[in-house]
Amino acid sequence: MNARGGLRPPRAPRAQALVLPGLLGPAVVFIVGVLLTALGILLVNSAYHFTGTQVQPRVTFEAYRHFFTDPFYASVLWQEVRLAVVTTGICLLVGYPVAYAITKIRRPNWVIAAYILIFSPLLTSSIVRAYGWLVILARGGLVNWALAEAHLVGSPVRLVFNFTGVTIALVHVLLPFTVFPILSVLLRTDPTLREAAADLGATRLQTFLRVTWPLSFPGLYAAAQLTFVLAMNAYVTPQLLGGGRVQVLPLLIFENISDLNWPLAAVEAIALIALVWTTMFVSNLLFRRRLAAIGDRE
Amino acid sequence: MGTTGRAEASATPAVELQQVHKRFGQVHAVRGVSLRIRENEFFSLLGPSGCGKTTVLRMISGFEVPTEGSLYLQGRLANTIPPYRRDTNLIFQHLALFPHLDVYDNIAFGLRLRRLPRDEIARKVRASLDLVDLAGYESRRIHQLSGGQKQRIAIARALINQPAVLLLDEPLGALDLRLRMQMQVELKEIQHRVGTTFIYVTHDQTEAMTMSDRIAVMNHGVVEQIGTGRDVYERPRTRFVATFLGDSNLIDARVERREPEQTVLRAGDQRLVAPADHAAGPGAAVTLCVRPERLRLVTPIDAPAPAGYENRVPARVHDVIFKGAFIEYRLTTGSGASMIAQAHANGSPAIAREGAVAATWRRDDGVVLTE
Repeated sequence: MNARGGLRPPRAPRAQALVLPGLLGPAVVFIVGVLLTALGILLVNSAYHFTGTQVQPRVTFEAYRHFFTDPFYASVLWQEVRLAVVTTGICLLVGYPVAYAITKIRRPNWVIAAYILIFSPLLTSSIVRAYGWLVILARGGLVNWALAEAHLVGSPVRLVFNFTGVTIALVHVLLPFTVFPILSVLLRTDPTLREAAADLGATRLQTFLRVTWPLSFPGLYAAAQLTFVLAMNAYVTPQLLGGGRVQVLPLLIFENISDLNWPLAAVEAIALIALVWTTMFVSNLLFRRRLAAIGDRE
Repeated sequence: MGTTGRAEASATPAVELQQVHKRFGQVHAVRGVSLRIRENEFFSLLGPSGCGKTTVLRMISGFEVPTEGSLYLQGRLANTIPPYRRDTNLIFQHLALFPHLDVYDNIAFGLRLRRLPRDEIARKVRASLDLVDLAGYESRRIHQLSGGQKQRIAIARALINQPAVLLLDEPLGALDLRLRMQMQVELKEIQHRVGTTFIYVTHDQTEAMTMSDRIAVMNHGVVEQIGTGRDVYERPRTRFVATFLGDSNLIDARVERREPEQTVLRAGDQRLVAPADHAAGPGAAVTLCVRPERLRLVTPIDAPAPAGYENRVPARVHDVIFKGAFIEYRLTTGSGASMIAQAHANGSPAIAREGAVAATWRRDDGVVLTE
C-alpha cells in the first residue's frame, strides 16, 4: 500500500451500507418481481370472461360468481381443509415423539441414522413415492395381503383412491417438515432447565409438561404451519393416490388451466392463497401471547 | 419444624461422602473423596476447573450416581435417589431460570409440584422475595432482570423449598467483581438467616474464604485439605494448596536435623529454621512455604533483622508493584530463585528497584510441606 492509499478518506461506512442490499438484492428482486407479477396476472385473469373455449379480455367477474355459488367448490374447500388439518394433526402426533426421541439418542451414529431415515422421503421424487404407496396400499398390495394373511379382514380394505390413501402418503411426505422445526427447538433448549425442574421436585413427566413442552411450543407451532401450508398445496399425492375421488384446489387449478379456463383457475388459486394466509393470520393472532412469552428467551 | 429435632439430629452430618469415586468412561473424575459436612455449615469445594468439584456437587444433588463409595444425606444412603426425591436444591452455574415463566411462577415452581394450597404458595413466594430483597418483582419476566436480580431469584426459587442442603455451583461467576463481592456478603447473611447447610463450589479462593465455615481444596479428583479458610491458608498441607490459595514462596530444601522445638533445613548454602509439626525425618526432601506478607525486607543487605527474624535470604529487588493497600516486591535470590514479599503501604518509602535486600522471616512463619 502506498502513502496516498493510507491517506484516502475512510470509505468503510459507505461500503458497509451497500453490503446488505447487495446480499439481499438479487433474491428480493427475483422473489418480489416474480411473485407480484404472477399475482398481478392472476388477478387480471380472474376477472376475465371465458367463452367455453377461450379467454376474452373483458372484465365480468363471472368466474368468482361461479366459484362462490356452485356448492361443488364449497365441498372441495372443505375436503381440502380437512385433508390439511388431518395430515398436520397426524404429522404432529407422530413427529413430536420422533423429534423428542432423537434428542435423547446418545450415540452419534444412531442420530445420523435417524436423520437419514426421517429425511429419506425428501430424497425420492414425489411421483416415485406416490407409486410406491400405490403398490403398498392397493387392493392386492402389501398391506392388504398382510391383513388377509393374518385373517384380520375378510375382504380387502380400501386404502387407495380415497381420503385415507392420500392422507397416509401426505403424512409420509410431510413428516420431515414437521420433525425438523420441533427438533431444532428441542435441541436449542438448555438441558439444565430440565435438570432445574428435576431438582425442584418434578418427575420426568412433570418436567416434560411444565418445561420441555411449553418451551418447545414455538417449534411445534412452526411445524404445524409449515405442514399445513404444504398439505394445502399438495398436488402429486392427491392426484395419484386420490384417483379422482379426492378433489382439492391444486388439482382443479391444473384441470382448469388444461381446459384453458384461466379465469376460474385464477379464482381457485386466489382462493387457495387467501385460505392459507387467513389461517396463518388467525392462528398468529390466537397464539401471539403464548409465542411472545417464550420468544423472549434470548 | 421443631428446633429440638434439629439439635438432636446435629450429630449426623447433613452430607457425608465415604470414599466416593466417579468415572466417566476412561475419565476418573472423582477419586476417593470423603467429606463430612455438618448441619448449618457453609462449606466450600474449592479447586481449579476439572478438579471434580462440580461432579461431587452433582452427585450430592442426584444428577450423577457415584461409581464407587457411599453418599449419605442426613444419615440416609442416597447414592441412587433421583434428584426430584432429594431434600437438596441446586443453584446452577447459569442459574437455569425458566424463560417461559415470570418471577412468581419460577419461585412457585417447587411449591406447585408439592400441591400446596394457592394462598400458602402466594404467602411463601412473597416471603422469599422479601428475603432476597425483590418484593414487587412477581410479574417480571426473566429476561427483564439484571444479572444480580436473576441471581437472587435463583436463590429464592431454591430456598423456598426449605431444602436440608442448598448446593451452589459457582453461581456468581457471571457477575462483575463489585456485584460478586456484594452477593458473597448477602449469601452469607441469607445462610445465617435461614440456617440451612450450604455447599458452595468455586474456583475463586477469595470467594471461598469470604463465605465459608470450612473449605475442601480439591485437585485432580482428590481432596487435598479440609479446614477453615484460615487453616488452609496459614497451614497448607500440600504444595498445591499453598499455591492455589494466595501467593506463596516455595523453597526446596532438605531436612538437616530435627530438634524438639524446630527443624533445621538446608536450601543450597542457606540454613533455615522451620516449625517441627511435620513427619519428615533427617535427609528428607521437603518444601518450605512462606507467605509473602510474612517476609520482612531488610536493607541495606547486611543490616540487622528485627528480633526473632532468624531466617535470612539475600536477594535483589527486580520489581516493585504498588497494589494499593500493600506494596509487592518481586525478588531474585542469590541462587536465582524468585520470591515475593508484601509490605503494608503505610507511607514509609518503598525500597528502590535493583536494591540489594535481605528477605527475613521468623521460624514459625514457615510451613514445612512434605507433599
